[in-house]
Amino acid sequence: MMFNWLQKLGSRVLLRLSSLGAALVMLLQSLLVLPGPRGWQRLTQQLYVVGVQSFIIIFVSAGFIGMVLGLQGYTLLVDYGSEQAVGQMVALTLVRELAPVVAALLFAGRAGSALTAELGLMKATEQLASLEMFGVDPLHRIVAPRFIAGLISLPILVIIFNLVGVYGGHLVAVEWLGVHSGAYWGNMQAAVDFSDDVMNGLIKALVFATLVTWTALYQGYTCVPTSQGISEATTRTVVYSSLMILGFDFILTALMFGGL
Amino acid sequence: MSQTNLIEVRDLSFARAERLIFDKLNISIRRGRVTAIMGPSGCGKTTLLRLIGGQLQPAQGQVCVFDEDLSKLSRDRLTSLRSRMGVLFQSGALFTDLDVFENVAFPLREHSSLSEDELRDQVLLQLEAVGLRGARHLMPSELSGGMSRRVALARAIAMGPELILYDEPFAGQDPIAMAVLQRLIRALNDQMQLTSVLVSHDVAEACAIADEVILLGRGNLLAQGAPEELLNSNDPMVRQFMHGHADGAIPFHFPAPDLMTELRTESGRNQARSSGVVEAVELN
Repeated sequence: MMFNWLQKLGSRVLLRLSSLGAALVMLLQSLLVLPGPRGWQRLTQQLYVVGVQSFIIIFVSAGFIGMVLGLQGYTLLVDYGSEQAVGQMVALTLVRELAPVVAALLFAGRAGSALTAELGLMKATEQLASLEMFGVDPLHRIVAPRFIAGLISLPILVIIFNLVGVYGGHLVAVEWLGVHSGAYWGNMQAAVDFSDDVMNGLIKALVFATLVTWTALYQGYTCVPTSQGISEATTRTVVYSSLMILGFDFILTALMFGGL
Repeated sequence: MSQTNLIEVRDLSFARAERLIFDKLNISIRRGRVTAIMGPSGCGKTTLLRLIGGQLQPAQGQVCVFDEDLSKLSRDRLTSLRSRMGVLFQSGALFTDLDVFENVAFPLREHSSLSEDELRDQVLLQLEAVGLRGARHLMPSELSGGMSRRVALARAIAMGPELILYDEPFAGQDPIAMAVLQRLIRALNDQMQLTSVLVSHDVAEACAIADEVILLGRGNLLAQGAPEELLNSNDPMVRQFMHGHADGAIPFHFPAPDLMTELRTESGRNQARSSGVVEAVELN
């Protein structure tokens, strides 16, 4: 009984490790080649699909999250007469934590799931096999531009998230609740450090972008090419990405801000 | 390998998820002919086609195409060998983000240095050969199943291959599309002096254009010969498949214990009761 349990655990761990290895090999094989003459064109196309098409969801979410932060911050701080500090609270919360994490979670749901489904469907409709038969490596042609597009898009989306969120907080705290505009911006400027806060947030964004895009592409590339297989792979992309984003966020926060 | 054989499969064994698909299979396919590989669903026809295309590696044995053992080739050599082959996938496998013209132009853009004008002429000629020159601006989603396959065929012949592999070209086609595809496969083979290998379970359609039929079953070669020979064969399994009898040497039932024994055991009763089988049997 005990041995069976141990055996099962062992085989699961081995399976996970071997798929992690396979995912790493896939990534290296797709990236360790110089892009072809039309590489830029393919990258631009993917930047549009992965990045630009995720803009609306990021913009709207950032607006609402900034507004909620402004409102919550104001109600909390007004009791102590320090509602002027709401600007600094909104900005620090956004640039250090909420912008990279929420943008990455939305990115996993919007772009990650789409990438997995697209690759899975390409596999099911034999497009990947057909590329191979034309002597074109699908890892270079399909996987590489999508991965790089993800890596470029998410940090830019996080910058947009930061800007829109800060303006969302300004709308509620300053325009509606009457916090002094100069105090909102002034406290923010004094409290937010570019390299400690903004850059650390962007490093988080880059790590999350790698995790989400890599997971999405690996799941799509290796899925069972049936409707059920694609649906399971898409679900796995969103679940694994979300858990990794939250787990890695804690580790990165501890390293960057926790004094570890 | 003899001069007349383009493909030779020797002692090929291949398994998928512990299920043995081929067990020491030996076949040879001759140059310049249309050869149909037939057999019941799940007998490994498409797998064999993928082994010939070098997309799968045999567990044991050899697959030799153009006098080269595919398992011994480097990636680059395999790529250059593949440029001498065309494949028509079952679904057509057109690239959904490219229109018909760009799909046919794809292999030319990848592997030739034609100018834009020469490329355009070449693509239009290929599309003319399959009767779809007028559809060059359509996207794959706007094409019927038969049209998709014809575009895929134009793409497969764009590089002037010596060998074309067709995966179930007639599956799910209406009678007109089927007749068109039959005519195209035969005409292309004769005009371009190709070797064509088609995998199919549409006996009548495949026999009508094939010079030779290879019948697979139970992991091995059941019969090989001209279509008429196989149609007139006395072997019970060959007869059953070629004439489409529901029951015979290849049983209708999936292996299972005796029905009455199973219904009378407790677990069998419980299972069967939920589907109403026991009541029906008891009433009788």
